[in-house]
Parts: sequence; C-alpha cells; structure tokens
Amino acid sequence: MKSIVKSIAIGVATVLGSAQVLAMDVKVGVIQGLSGPPAIVDFGESYLQGIRMALKEYKAAGGAVDVELIVYDDEANPQRAVSYAQRLIQSDNVSAVMGTVSSGNVMAFAPILQRAGIPLIAGPSIATGITAEFIDEDPSYIFRCSMVEKFQIDKMLDWGIENFDKIGLLHSTTGYGSFAADEIQKGMKERGEELVEIQAAAPGINDLTPQMIRLRDAGAGLVLNFHESFELPYRALPRIDYKPTFAGNWGLSSQKVIDIVGQDAIEGTVMGQALDLSDPEAAAFDERMRAEFGDAYRWPVLAALGYDSGRIMFQAIENAGSDDPEAIRDAIESIQDVEAVSSTPAEPFSADDHECLDAEHVFLGVWRDGRVVRLE
Amino acid sequence: MLDTYLQILVSGLAMGAIYTLTAKGLFIAHLATHKLNFGQGDFLMVGAFLSMSLIIAGIPVLLAALLVLIALGLLGWGLERLVIRPLDRFGISGGSTYSWILTTAGVALILQNIAELVWGKSSHYSPPLFSEGRDNVIEIAGINMFVEEILVIGFAAVVVAFFYYMLFRTRWGRAVYTVAFNPEAAMLLGINVRRTVVLVFVLASLLAGISGILVGPLITIHPHIGLMFTIKALAVAAIGGFSNPLGILIGGVLFGVAEAFSNYYDSAFGDLYPLIFVLVFLVFRPSGLFSEAQADVR
Repeated sequence: MKSIVKSIAIGVATVLGSAQVLAMDVKVGVIQGLSGPPAIVDFGESYLQGIRMALKEYKAAGGAVDVELIVYDDEANPQRAVSYAQRLIQSDNVSAVMGTVSSGNVMAFAPILQRAGIPLIAGPSIATGITAEFIDEDPSYIFRCSMVEKFQIDKMLDWGIENFDKIGLLHSTTGYGSFAADEIQKGMKERGEELVEIQAAAPGINDLTPQMIRLRDAGAGLVLNFHESFELPYRALPRIDYKPTFAGNWGLSSQKVIDIVGQDAIEGTVMGQALDLSDPEAAAFDERMRAEFGDAYRWPVLAALGYDSGRIMFQAIENAGSDDPEAIRDAIESIQDVEAVSSTPAEPFSADDHECLDAEHVFLGVWRDGRVVRLE
Repeated sequence: MLDTYLQILVSGLAMGAIYTLTAKGLFIAHLATHKLNFGQGDFLMVGAFLSMSLIIAGIPVLLAALLVLIALGLLGWGLERLVIRPLDRFGISGGSTYSWILTTAGVALILQNIAELVWGKSSHYSPPLFSEGRDNVIEIAGINMFVEEILVIGFAAVVVAFFYYMLFRTRWGRAVYTVAFNPEAAMLLGINVRRTVVLVFVLASLLAGISGILVGPLITIHPHIGLMFTIKALAVAAIGGFSNPLGILIGGVLFGVAEAFSNYYDSAFGDLYPLIFVLVFLVFRPSGLFSEAQADVR
C-alpha cells in the first residue's frame, strides 16, 4: 500500500513537474527597426516576419515553452534602441533579446546586454565586428544570425576582379555606406587593385545622374552599389547610355527592387546571399512565407535568417529548460542539429565563433529571369 | 564633355523646377497672409502617393491628375479653414502670433502618419506617366531627357508666367496685395478677404499636388520626403525673395542646378554646397534677389 502511495506521489510530482515545464513562460525581447529610414524598415520587417514564422511553427509543433515576443521599434535611433534594451531588462524581465537592423544601434546596446548577462542574437545588422567585439569576454552573450559585411564584400571583390577590368563604387554618406566603402577599398588594396571611381551620395538624394556619369566616364564595367536606395542608380542609366553590371549589398535581392526597377534592368545584378531558393527546403519556406504574409513578404534571405535565428533561440530556450539567461546563453552556444533554411550550418556556434554565417556560408546570388539564384 | 555638362544641367533643371513649384506655394501663401505652410512638402508627398495609387489602379493619367488636384484643393481649403483661420479669431491679421508654425507643422506630421498607415513605411516608385517602361527617354540636341522632366520644366515655366500675370495684371492680384498690405482696409474697399485667403491656400495646395504628380515617377517616394522639399523650397524662396514670382523661378533653377553640379564634382557633400551657397548669398542679399526691386507691401 505504502509503495502504491509512494508511486502515486512520484507520478503526481512528475506530472506536476512536467506541467511546470509545459507551462514555462519565457519572454524574448525583439528590438527591430520598423520605421525610420525606409531601407531599414524593409530589412527590419522582413527579419521580424521570419522570427514570427519560426514562433508560429514552434507553437504548432507543440513546443514545450510558451514563448512570448515583446517587440519594440527602435526607429533606427540609437538612443531609442538603448532605452528599449534597458526596458526589456528592467521592466519586461526578458530572458533573451533579438535585433536590430542598424549596426550602430546593436553596438550601442550590446554592451548593456553583455553586462546584464542577457543573451543577444543580433540581426539583420551586418557590420563586420559585432560579435568579434565581445568574443574574448568570458563568456560572451552576443551572437548573430545575419550577413557579415566583410564576407559578402570579399566574395564580391574576388569575383569582380576576375571578371571586370574596371570597378567603380557608389556608396551612401551614412555610417553604413562609409563603413562599406572603407572595407571595399581595403579589400581592393589587399588584392593589389584599385577602384577606378568612388562616388558618394546622401541617403535622401533624389537623382544620381551626376554620380552615374562619373562612373560611366571612368569606364567602370562593374559598379559596387552600397547606397540605401537600391533602385536609384538604375534610374539614371537609360539616359546616359550606360549599362554596367551592379553588385552590392544583400538588400539588392529584395522583391521590391525588381518591382521598381523592372526585370530587364535588374537582370545580372549580383549580391551577397545566404539563401539558395533552388534548394527544396528553402523553396518550401519561401512558399510558406508567401502564404502567411502575402505581398508583405518581399525579402526571402532576410526572412530566412530571421526564421533561423528564431528557431535557434526557441530551441535553445527549450534545451536550457528554464528562463535563466545564462542557461539559455549556454544552450545557444552549444546548439546542434539546426535545420536552417539559410546556409547557416547545423552547429553554428562555438566558444570562439558566435556567427551563424562564416565566410564559407556566404555566396553570391544573381538576378536571373526574375529570381535570385546562386551565381555559378 | 559639353554633353555631360548639358546632361547634368538638365537633371538639375528638372529638380529645380520641382523646388520652384513647391516654393511657389510657400510664396503665394506668404504673400497674402504672411504665413507659411510648413507642410508644403508633405502636401507634395500626399499628391505623389495619391497619383501613384490612382495610376496603378488603372485610372487614366489625366483623370488621376484631376482627382489628385481636387483632393489637394480640398486639403488646402481644410488647412485654411481648420488650421489657420481659427488662430485669427482675435483679429483678421493675427500677425502677432506665430501659432501657425505649430499648427501647419502639426498637419505635416499628421499627414506623414496617415501616409504611413495607408501606404506603409517603405519607399515606392510611381509608374511613369506616359509610357510603359522606365526608359521613356527623349533625345533633344544630344541630351536625353525623361518625359516627366520635360513636363516638369515646362510646367514650372507656365506656372511662373501665370502667377506673374495674375499678380501684376489682374484684379485678383491686386486683391492679394491689398489683403497682404492691410486686411481691414481691403475689407473696406469691398474685397472679400476671406475668399482671397482661402483661394491662396487652395492654390498653394494645388501647386504641391501638381509637383507631387510630376515628381512621383522621378524620385523614390516615401512618407517622409516632405520635410526635405519644404526645407529646399524655403531656401529657394529665400534666394528669390518672398515677394516676386520670377525670383522664385530663378532661385529654384539656381538651387537645382547647383545641387546637380555639386553632386558631380564632390558627391560626398553634394547636398551641402547648395545650402552653403544659400547662406553666403543671404549674407550679401538678406532679402533675396528681387524683393527690394519691388514695392515692399509688407
């Protein structure tokens, strides 16, 4: 009799215990650029769509943790991003944070999260140094699932130098554009080459005809486009008898760019990529996103990285088995068997690598017949 | 080389024409009421978005333009009726207060937010007005121009001529100057002050609408383009002097062309030089190009 009571007690305790796991609520903060400069809005929204899709599927698959996303819009404003990070830590009591678009904003709040011991999966910010800055900390709480500027630029320069005699650069005067320009010039120098022309433009500019004329006159056959208005450089071309090949930021793969520029003009444009839609799983993801978000879904690669970062985060929380940020951090770092739709590997992180994408996972994509495919 | 310069000149002229049309709206409202609509650029933004939506919906361009102008006319009327006039209830001139700065800027913010709600926060491109593709280029004397650019330059010239005629050759023009000089006296002379002022704001709003329709296919539009146009239009109006339509045209053209050439010579600071040029210019001619040559009505 006693043993029966005991086993019932154990059974009840187990059930209650697992019920507790089942009912475990974990809050995840998301800071994302959802308004402000238009380019940033599209990046932020696409990435967030991916995170939401990951959460929806996680719940539908009977995920053991009840994850609640707390989403804030930092409007691409660093002060706002910092104050939201503080709010997430102090009043929302989140266990982990994801975001945001502007690399400057990430660099502003990452130290706060590191100090507070709250793990961050950054994205879709792309400045090269984000995780490297913290990797020597013991331990680093800063991870990232996004394109890394240096990796896409390296790929682009290797390909550009092999295929073109003269390479020109168009960049914006924002922090982002100037940073990319530095990285490109450094990369060219390392390869013993030089750009034939460097043109800049303010972010809100309306007409790039003067800049494109300079690039044309310099004879640039390849124009590296690191301006936030992805479509504006194409606009000036028909009237200045100039048809260079464009290569640039992964943003050029947005459905929006082809809608605006048109299929003929965009054909052959090259950009950094981390999603291969000819892969059946990626294509299936693309379908699901289209069904879920309709026309608002425009940027497969951004959404894919948001989706993968979400899946890593939710799985890590489940693996950690608690809402303790430190346990979640450890679980993120040691996560295995990630079935990513982007080129993120199955075991993305280690103690000295907090990037989803390493150099070998970034490749070049190209617009062909209205789709972005891998550049062969 | 000459080709290149002419090409840059033309693209500068086109943007300059847009600045002229926007500044013209500021000028006419300021002339009659000594007030400025700080949302002039945002009215342009609304015009651009409306015309884009209508054209995409398959409505013929001219009908779409007409509908946009009706909407913008109503907006201008509403601005005067709801945002400007209530401030004047302690006297028609109401010149002692500057509350209109706040209210017109407030309307600008409201319009930006409505545009965000309706059209979203990202950028858009308006389809070309008169062709299928985006390469509707016409060659004139070796210079390639977009149809919209030719239109916008031509239209700015027509509007300036129209204003010149209206202000200096018609009764209505005299009424505007009289109202500007002294509203009470104007009333005693039998001028319908209210109607003159309303008409001025409707006209200003229509100008923004026309600019919006024409500029839509030339630039990237998003809910926050307005402020930049307002600022540049203010600079243009300052160059031209706030009381002469011809000055505004010259100011707009100078500004647009200066901007295009400064982008050509030093693209990293392309936006900076024209504004420095305006500052230096104002040091030497604080009241603009033409305002001193005309009878000062203020």
